[in-house]
Amino acid sequence: MLSRSSLSRNAPRALSAGRRAMASAANPSFQYDVTEAAGVKVANREVAGPTGTLALVAKAGSRYQPFPGFADALEKFAFKTTLKRSALRITREVELLGGEISSTHSRENVVLRAKFLANDLPYFTELLAEVASQPKFADHELSEVVSYLLKYNQQAAFANPENVALDAAHGVAFHRGLGSPVTPSPSSPYEKYLSADALAEFAKDAYAKSNVALVATGPNSADVNKWVGQFFKDLPTGTTAGQYKVQPSEASKYFGGEQRIASKTGNAVVIAFPGSSAFGTAGYKAEASVLAALLGGESTIKWTPGFSLLSQATKGFNQLNVSTKNLAYSDAGLFTVTLSGQAEQVGAASKNVVDALKKAAAGEVSSEDIKKAAALAKFRALESVQTLETGLEATGSGLIHGAKPYQIGEIAQAIEKVTEQQVKEVAKSFLTGKATLVSVGDVFQLPYAEDLGLTV
Amino acid sequence: MSAPSITNYIVKRPWLKRWMTPIAQWFDDLIPEESETVQKAIKRLSSKEAYDRVFRIRRAVQCSISHTLLPPHEQTKPEEDVEYLSPIIREIEKEAKERADLDNLVVRK
Repeated sequence: MLSRSSLSRNAPRALSAGRRAMASAANPSFQYDVTEAAGVKVANREVAGPTGTLALVAKAGSRYQPFPGFADALEKFAFKTTLKRSALRITREVELLGGEISSTHSRENVVLRAKFLANDLPYFTELLAEVASQPKFADHELSEVVSYLLKYNQQAAFANPENVALDAAHGVAFHRGLGSPVTPSPSSPYEKYLSADALAEFAKDAYAKSNVALVATGPNSADVNKWVGQFFKDLPTGTTAGQYKVQPSEASKYFGGEQRIASKTGNAVVIAFPGSSAFGTAGYKAEASVLAALLGGESTIKWTPGFSLLSQATKGFNQLNVSTKNLAYSDAGLFTVTLSGQAEQVGAASKNVVDALKKAAAGEVSSEDIKKAAALAKFRALESVQTLETGLEATGSGLIHGAKPYQIGEIAQAIEKVTEQQVKEVAKSFLTGKATLVSVGDVFQLPYAEDLGLTV
Repeated sequence: MSAPSITNYIVKRPWLKRWMTPIAQWFDDLIPEESETVQKAIKRLSSKEAYDRVFRIRRAVQCSISHTLLPPHEQTKPEEDVEYLSPIIREIEKEAKERADLDNLVVRK
């Protein structure tokens, strides 16, 4: 065991501002090389290793879809039958090569992802190009495969009260655009808009050269450019005129408000405020991510509630989950506190959230806690970029939306510069501005915004 | 229409086909349904095609029961007699063959 005195001697050292510089800031292999090949933006990070990853990020998420369910269906149609190969053949070939293919979509992007052994780069580049430029969109595939996948996806998404609350919070906060649900609700009549022909039109625009970015990690940049230049020549140039084109991005506007949804699946409350947009955009506020870490709610260390204000405040509640996040998008952000669990405890803890915000706004937080929060915020930002799942999309999204790709060193610097005063200001602006409150579950017990002292 | 079909037998013999053609032109309606492939193909028809198909079959059954002939303007004209089901059946057969081939794949390195 460490003695008490040695701990107290080391703790200030760990928190001191003049720490060693981040290794990654100086290490060029963590930066992305950005080029253009065959008219497509390509970002590559060379990492020596036996495997590689290649992702195609298309600006066609639920925010840009012309009708509900289109982004979802486009995602599910990825790696299905193309004009050259059947879906079965694609699956079997990938199995033989030992790769992994997947597709996901978020509010802003549809991401097709391939992981593979380093030698197979040409095959997977060709595959992604084929999926994007020569999809078949067979009618029967929609009715026999994709429509079921959509349904299961909806059921999974809507069985989770937290998810329902988050989706509703976006709707209340941004109305259309960013507010449109990631997955259409099972009770919404989305099927009437979906048809294979409409999706084919949408895909032509979604996978247009100006609308996609390729992000690779692992392979050699010269190789990536060579193969992308060769295979992505045939990508559509995107001049779909009709109603199925990717919707133009109108600047997101924050509205705020309150919504209550009765549900038997569980209880969740989302308290949201206008947060910080993604790094590299005009609305980027590093202090929002520091405040998110300060409010926290989830411990990063085992067997302790952690330092964050909310986990300290809700220590006594044993059937409650709290987490605070700043969900960043290309031109707006949503700062969310999500509470889920037993209805009584969720209701009681939502009051604690507002109290914690008031404390932060009044500056009643020790500077040590803010330093800890800044360190955690920095770690989270850097980790999310370094992790393949989140980093690829963030980088691609940065490229398509005209901003720069994530450059790790700069994020670290931005967060280091955050002052206590800035954190205080953000908390204050949350309390004075319009909030968003969504309660899902046993609405008989869950609080109204009025009860919490929030203006909506 | 569960009787064993003689369509293939007729189609294979040009002289017989020539003789039969005026009687039974709509070959795609006469493809026996009792197989998984054809059932799947029928499901893949567009709703208009599926409706028309059932309509023609029911009308034919009615005519057969009542021993009448269709009035000439309702009879199918040669230019309307298109292959609407066979292409789908061929596609499904191709898929099945590809699956069987891939299932029996041997990897040599």
